[in-house]
Amino acid sequence: MVNLRKNMRVLKEMVHLRFNNLAVSRLDFFAPFLIDSSLFLVQILAFKAIYSNTDRIGNWRQGEMVVYIGTFSLLNAINMVIYFFGVNEIPQKIRSGGLDLYLSKPISPLFRLTFENISPGSLPLVALSVCIILYGINILDINLGIVQAGTYIFWILLMEILYYDMEVIIRSVPLYTVSMARMEQIEEAGLGLCMKLPGIALYGIYKLFFYLIMPYGIMATLPVQSIIKEMDLWTGIYGIFVVVLFSIITCIIWKCGLKHYNSASS
Amino acid sequence: MYKYWEISKTYMKTQLVWRADVIFNMLFTITKILFAYLLWGMVFKDKDVAGMFTFHSMVSYYITSSFLSQLEMFSGISNEIYWRIRNGTFSKYMVIPVGIEKYFLAMEAGVVLFYILFDFIAALVWVFIFQIDFTFTNNPVIIVCAIVITLLGLVFMVQLNYLLGIMGLKYQGIQTFLMVKDNLVMLVTGGIVPLALFPGAVVNILSFMPFYYVTYLPSMLFTGFCHDEAFSGIFIILFWCIVLQVVINIFWEKNVKNFEGAGI
Repeated sequence: MVNLRKNMRVLKEMVHLRFNNLAVSRLDFFAPFLIDSSLFLVQILAFKAIYSNTDRIGNWRQGEMVVYIGTFSLLNAINMVIYFFGVNEIPQKIRSGGLDLYLSKPISPLFRLTFENISPGSLPLVALSVCIILYGINILDINLGIVQAGTYIFWILLMEILYYDMEVIIRSVPLYTVSMARMEQIEEAGLGLCMKLPGIALYGIYKLFFYLIMPYGIMATLPVQSIIKEMDLWTGIYGIFVVVLFSIITCIIWKCGLKHYNSASS
Repeated sequence: MYKYWEISKTYMKTQLVWRADVIFNMLFTITKILFAYLLWGMVFKDKDVAGMFTFHSMVSYYITSSFLSQLEMFSGISNEIYWRIRNGTFSKYMVIPVGIEKYFLAMEAGVVLFYILFDFIAALVWVFIFQIDFTFTNNPVIIVCAIVITLLGLVFMVQLNYLLGIMGLKYQGIQTFLMVKDNLVMLVTGGIVPLALFPGAVVNILSFMPFYYVTYLPSMLFTGFCHDEAFSGIFIILFWCIVLQVVINIFWEKNVKNFEGAGI
């Protein structure tokens, strides 16, 4: 309890400092919003074009696809607001020896790295994503009950943890190796593909890869399946299993990685 | 001309330093093709034709488009020029006895010449792996037109990125704009879906824009579509190249005096 209270105080201070930093360059404040909103609006236009030539992709109509794009956008937006810019600096801190500063402070280094670069400029992206999701629900013409909405939010939170785990795992690689440029490329390629391609389109080896090895394929698919009542019990259990598994892997990789850290020579 | 050929050769050799980059560039062309293969595989389960495409002609389009867009590796030019202007090292290009824009054209020509063979091999490998009944036009005139449009499209993209880079002479922050531009270009060059799937009115408007001719029209011509646009395409993209060159010259003349050689 004392630890939690201390972490909250630190978090509050980090948010305050971040706002001060962002106030220096105002265009950068909204840069993530402008970049990512254009990306997801482009996706919607592309799928509008696809659906003007076909009724369905698998058993998903346009409504499900709009909710899918909105969900991926929401996951990405929350990621941007809370932890992306912090976690993204891990490789650079490892290479430059800047991680020393984090290890010498009386607070978890990963906690500080995670929350020290929050990006409030991405908050409008959260609002835009919610609008896309509501638009999709409107096309689907479903009455969203509290239980359904609650289940959806539960899956969003769970998948956000998975997103975080994946980012930390990939960015912890420099604790073990000299270069990680390829890992970021692989992450970018995997995310780029699954952003456009829902999990229902995957099968065989593709499904194995994007559902288990690099589980970007389930990140937006499961929340959408929960909201359209397409998710069965086993899929739900599998989703929770993957999140737990990757959280454990993240802890192990980070903790073991810190033992390999040799300050500036890493 | 000789000195520009030397620049191209130097950059061709430079690519050999990062051999892993070559391999990964080849491998990552798969994402676009995999997207097309899986997505359109589902769509074509229920139907034989979507728009003007069959499943095999659709995947052929994506393979060709992916090959052409891999050749277009010029977005780095804007960043390179922008940062050199900001930190003052742009002087490097001003003191050497070559035209700066021509230098970048020669540089990119070298990179493209180096990668063209590897990208071609990658495209062949994907055709083989995904067992695509690859559709390709057998009309030699159309092939020549498509090659000319592709080359002019590449020149246009170098010009565009050069213009965006030298905007650093006047504007402080163009990074956000460059990233938004990349997202939009991906759509309007037919990189996500063929533009033919958009409503007719939208396609008509886009056909007056230069991006239509960068990868989309050449890909369509190579895969046997839009033959009637082959000749007009050459003139339209040529027109845009000339317009952009005029804009570059005017912008350069007006703003180059802002550069003081020690950063802005």
